[in-house]
Amino acid sequence: MKRLSHRLGLYAALAAMGFVVLVPIVWVVTAGFRTQISLLTGELLFTPVLANFTEVLFSKTSDFLVNYRNSLIVGLASTLLCLTAATLAAWSLHRLRWPGWVLHVFLGWALVFHMMPPVALASAWYVMAREVGLDNSFAGLILAHAVLNLPMALWLMGVFVREVPIELEEAARIDGASTLVLLRRIILPMIAPGLAATAILTFVFSWNEFAVALTLTMKQTATVPVAIAKFAQDYEIRYTQMAAAAALSILPALVLLLIGQRFIVRGLTQGAIK
Amino acid sequence: MTHQRGRISRRQTVAGLTAGLLGAGPTMAAAQTKVAPITIVINQSPWFDSFRKTVELYEKETGNKVELDVNPFAGSLEKQRNSVRARQGQYDLLIMNSGWFAEMYFGGFVEALSDIDPGLKLDPDIFTLGNTVYFDAAKKTVGSGKLMSMPISPLIPVVYYRGDLYKEAGLAAPQTFADLEANARKFNKPPRQYGIVQRGARGPASVSFDFYPYLYGFGGSVFKDQAAGDYSVALNSEQGRTALDYYIRLSREAGHPKTASIDQAEVIQNMVTGKAAHVMMVISAWSQMDDPTKSAVVDKVEFAPTPHAPGLVSAPGLGHWLGGVAKNVPDERKRAAVAFLRWYQTKPAQMATAMAGGIPVSAAIYREPLASERRFRWMKAMAESLPHAVSTLSFPEAGEVIPILELGLNRAVAGETTAVAALNDMAGQIHAVMAKYGYKTGTLPGLK
Amino acid sequence: MKAAPVAEGSLVAAGVSATPRRRAPRLDELLPRWATFAPALLLMLGLGVLPLVNLLYTSFHTVSWSGGHATFTPVGFAHYASLPFDTLLRAGLGNTVIFAVFAVAGQMVLGFALALMCSRVTRGRMFYRALFILPILVPGIVIGAIWKLMLNFDFGLINQLVELLGFEGRNWLGDKETALASVIVVDIWHWTPFCFLLLLAGLESLPQDPYEAAKIDGASWWQELRYITLPLMAPAILVTFAFRLVIAFKVFDEVYLLTAGGPGTATEVVSFTLYQRFFTEDRAGYGAAMAITIMFICALLLVMALSVRRRSEPA
Repeated sequence: MKRLSHRLGLYAALAAMGFVVLVPIVWVVTAGFRTQISLLTGELLFTPVLANFTEVLFSKTSDFLVNYRNSLIVGLASTLLCLTAATLAAWSLHRLRWPGWVLHVFLGWALVFHMMPPVALASAWYVMAREVGLDNSFAGLILAHAVLNLPMALWLMGVFVREVPIELEEAARIDGASTLVLLRRIILPMIAPGLAATAILTFVFSWNEFAVALTLTMKQTATVPVAIAKFAQDYEIRYTQMAAAAALSILPALVLLLIGQRFIVRGLTQGAIK
Repeated sequence: MTHQRGRISRRQTVAGLTAGLLGAGPTMAAAQTKVAPITIVINQSPWFDSFRKTVELYEKETGNKVELDVNPFAGSLEKQRNSVRARQGQYDLLIMNSGWFAEMYFGGFVEALSDIDPGLKLDPDIFTLGNTVYFDAAKKTVGSGKLMSMPISPLIPVVYYRGDLYKEAGLAAPQTFADLEANARKFNKPPRQYGIVQRGARGPASVSFDFYPYLYGFGGSVFKDQAAGDYSVALNSEQGRTALDYYIRLSREAGHPKTASIDQAEVIQNMVTGKAAHVMMVISAWSQMDDPTKSAVVDKVEFAPTPHAPGLVSAPGLGHWLGGVAKNVPDERKRAAVAFLRWYQTKPAQMATAMAGGIPVSAAIYREPLASERRFRWMKAMAESLPHAVSTLSFPEAGEVIPILELGLNRAVAGETTAVAALNDMAGQIHAVMAKYGYKTGTLPGLK
Repeated sequence: MKAAPVAEGSLVAAGVSATPRRRAPRLDELLPRWATFAPALLLMLGLGVLPLVNLLYTSFHTVSWSGGHATFTPVGFAHYASLPFDTLLRAGLGNTVIFAVFAVAGQMVLGFALALMCSRVTRGRMFYRALFILPILVPGIVIGAIWKLMLNFDFGLINQLVELLGFEGRNWLGDKETALASVIVVDIWHWTPFCFLLLLAGLESLPQDPYEAAKIDGASWWQELRYITLPLMAPAILVTFAFRLVIAFKVFDEVYLLTAGGPGTATEVVSFTLYQRFFTEDRAGYGAAMAITIMFICALLLVMALSVRRRSEPA
């Protein structure tokens, strides 16, 4: 009996939280199917229209599909770069016996850097990018996003890397494993869930990042948040188009989340040496 | 030139038009000379679509290439600043807002149009919008001197009012502040309908922009005489007190109960849902009023110039857009940008803008028969208002003065301070800022 | 030594399982060490150091533009000295600290509770994970715009619900009393997924042995939590908390669209004041000093929070 009521209580709590989470999301997505006046009057029943989606995707002033592609490129590339650098560095710092001060200075510096407001960083990076001609390119933005997310990735991967029992590493070394094999077969599979979580977060942060993306891109390289911000105009907010664009924007992140998670974990745990 | 029986080819028509437009001087060949492609930086807005169509027409007529880099409003200034401060600019033609054109002039970031093309003359029909297109680099004053930019979009506030309610009550369009107050009170039936909804929220340029027509319409001002370089603070004058008292009284007795938190989006929301009988709002929202997907009051809204005190004139504050040519781009691109501006001010181009749903800067269009059409009924109010439009802050440090106004006015509207205290306090702070930057300034004796 | 890897392995094993001793690293140890550290180091050096140094340098100067050129006039500590007199900054700091503390505390607790609940669910865990992550997938601007509509006094969904329950609708974002609280609620809704995601990953990586031992000993659910889960999760919790706090200090998009700092200064947050001074007013030197000071205060808060935590941890 007790166990059943516990179970019910658990599911009830989860359902309640799910409701709170879902209502605004559903509101956003359905707002994309409304007319502006319907949304402004707050009526609960409405007749859906597709005009907003067609305007966002296909109108002459909107390059949304291009923005989509840009965001995907920048998001995937910067996540890959960031996570590779962060995982390798985290493992290196915690497990390859650097002198203690290196670890503390680097991680501390990363945290301090993370406190810097992105708006202030953006203008500094613009000047640097312009000097080397990277101001309207993917490379510039990819590097910028990788660095922006590096502190968090570094610290998080540090947590997960340290959870790998050191005996396992030693055993592998005794068996003659090189660094590469050690990483691929032992470390990666064990940190897979943590890596997946960090990768998702890094990708989402890159996908939603606005200030730096605005500064370092122009029309051809603009990302989704820049496109969405255009709906918040100086004299009005085009709520329904913004909602349609937001609904479209959530989609790839969600898909990547569902598929990517399974992929990352499965891909990394393959070939694990237990 | 041969032409087929009864049919003139489109290219010949366009060619003919172009030649006609550019007058007798340049030959046909010169008229169709290609210039360098240019990049225009502009922000996304309700009138952008019409600008885009106008640009497409230009490209079609002249064969010149124009690239439009469209940005969100939040960040437009940063993008333009970054570009003009670099050694080589990304943008050739900058569409500058009233909030930052002074920064561009004073900083030497835009080049005088007459320096690039000595033959360029501003068409006499073009509204000079408080003479903000002129700048004297030596004296550092806006309003006289060289021609620095071309008006692109003349945005000013006008009164939007419910014509259907007026017709029912047999009232004429409001002219004086007394008219507005009386009518607003008459139609104030909270909570279903508010007499007027004002934009009292604090924001980047929110309540201050809303307050300017009241301040200047009552004969007050922020500074004594900007055009002459006299930045003595005149905000806390008797006229200023009258204006602020009126504004607050209107909000309390005929307006929205939460005026202090109402921003632009909510003003529009109240108007289109039919909750407001009057609003004072920038003209670019006109297209929403008659769009059935955006409005519940289609065909019911009428327009009038912002009110004035008896004996004075309507004085709306400018929130306009000017087109300036960046200094840090190659000469050929500067000339190409000026070529575009030269074309933009012509009557056919302005007509195209109006037909595409934009707001023309040429008085010639407002005299056209189309101004009497139902869908262009706002043109009458604009034509009356534009000659008197006021540039309230024409100096680069305006960005420091606006927040003072925003916070002070917002607190007065919210009832946190009295009007007198707010005015005196703001005046003192503004004076401190102007003095800090070495402007000729002074203060009035404080209001009691 | 042809069998170098083997010998290295046993040396390392010997070295670590015995008393760890500092000795000069060998060449074949240096390569992997530097090869793995280099990418991150290069990224941080190349793109991280320069902007910060530039910011520091600017904070000791006043920048003015004329004729298309910038002039840097040194002013020493003048900018830093005038910071305490900035009324907006004082209001902003107070609000930001309140905001950061309450929002972060709320999210950590909520996120942890959700993660715990999810970890006990066997069926449909993937579904719940996807569900609870949703809010963080939405861009900040959209969150601000949508919640602004929902909290609208005249037409908002929240007031509609409230009135349905028989209460009076309030001006959530426009009343001084409720404005900051409303912003905090929106932030909690937006960022709990962050904590949830990380804490769930942390929970899933925990070793199972201590739990099995506890079950044999007959420990209760609460004892399990307090004596096994929390201590084992300590690093993950700390890092999540630290980063969440830093991000809270940088909050901008949501506030910009929800309230723009109003009413009055009720929701003025430091990143807002910074944006105002640095960009809108174009005071690069003063803004740089403000940025550096804010970073310093954030670091201070973090250190304080961490030392409290360390003191309360059972030995």
